[in-house]
Amino acid sequence: MSENKILFNTGSLDELTQEIGKLNNVDESKLKLTPDNADSGLAKLVLTLVELIRKLVEKQAMRRVDGGSLTDAEIERLGETLMNLELKMEELKKHFNLTDRDLNINLGPLGDLM
Amino acid sequence: MDNNVVDQSKDITILELLDRVLNKGVILTGDIVISVADIDLVYLGVKLMLSSVETMEQLKSGKAIKEIKE
Amino acid sequence: MKEMELMIYAILSLESDSGKLDSILTGIKGISGADLYSVSFNATTAIVSDINRTDLIANSSNAIAYAGVIETLAQQYSLLPMRFGSIMESTGAILRMLERNHPEIEKNLLKVKNKVEFGLKVFCDSEKLKGELIRISEAKTARPPHQTPEPQISVFREYVNKKLEAHKLEEMLLAHVDSVIAGITNHLDQLNAVCKFRKMVTETMIIDAVILLENSLKDPLIHQIEEFQIQFPGLNFVLTGPWPPYNFVETTIK
Repeated sequence: MSENKILFNTGSLDELTQEIGKLNNVDESKLKLTPDNADSGLAKLVLTLVELIRKLVEKQAMRRVDGGSLTDAEIERLGETLMNLELKMEELKKHFNLTDRDLNINLGPLGDLM
Repeated sequence: MDNNVVDQSKDITILELLDRVLNKGVILTGDIVISVADIDLVYLGVKLMLSSVETMEQLKSGKAIKEIKE
Repeated sequence: MKEMELMIYAILSLESDSGKLDSILTGIKGISGADLYSVSFNATTAIVSDINRTDLIANSSNAIAYAGVIETLAQQYSLLPMRFGSIMESTGAILRMLERNHPEIEKNLLKVKNKVEFGLKVFCDSEKLKGELIRISEAKTARPPHQTPEPQISVFREYVNKKLEAHKLEEMLLAHVDSVIAGITNHLDQLNAVCKFRKMVTETMIIDAVILLENSLKDPLIHQIEEFQIQFPGLNFVLTGPWPPYNFVETTIK
């Protein structure tokens, strides 16, 4: 199929090639669970989900702070909790030797996790 | 220089095409099911099927598509 | 004895002349050079080829060949493109499937009748855009010069402040993208287009949209995108198509 389907574009096609390439770029090791990597494969899966929840909690917290409905004391406690959560995640990532990119799965219609 | 643009256009066309034929279209249930994190099973499944047999490397190694380096 | 199954490429409605379809099908080949034929339940017709599932090499060239069949058929018929990998055991199974899902299939065929799909992707430099948005918002809220020294704040409060700032920036960016989408939708409504959008897909792809449109309106669409480019000079637009309506047949059939 040699037809060119691009009807209109501005600027260089480099950007587009890269971005669409990213969308179609599946990291095999991310999805393939073999006996050898089952442990770290499972860790990746679990940490990805934990990171998803952490990010959602953080977002919700920021909405509340922005909304002005929290007291100073509550904001303090929130800050402490969120900070510790993030530090804990960093520890776990380091322990399992995972980067942010490893944990970034594509959620289909929801876009990328990060 | 012109060749490069033509190649890129073709590569992009192929990428757009693959995105559609692999991830969209009517879904027939029960043919390819991968149980991973319950996120759009067929969506993951078809990509997995393609990746495990022939990686996207083959497509990326073609003409104008640049490797994404971190 | 090899187990032959059937790969389904597309489902279409055969108005009257099945002879025309037959002659088209003899002219093209499916995956692994297999012959194409049709399985019909009344006017509803599935286009299939024999396939050996275990022999099927799941690679991009097969996926492209599969899409090529759909593309050729779409030149002549309004159809529902199937996802790559749509395999059933036998013609009997396909007939039963067509019968079971007849209403859903008909509904979708009507939806895409005489229509084609276009892809619109919009790119921008998120960082640059954020910078501009900050400048705009800072200009609006003129800050008085600090008379008193900044009070000491805890490390936790500082953490929250930092996160809050990032959050606000994201919200501004999202609001801006929403306004661009609203502008696009507004104009495309005039072409009777159905649009679906994904926002902030990556750092640079702020919009990933698909558009369903009467196939006669391709040129007005291109013209409209050119207008958008002028209206939003900081953004890059890429329009691809026409495609068979892959993104508008979101249905699962059993």
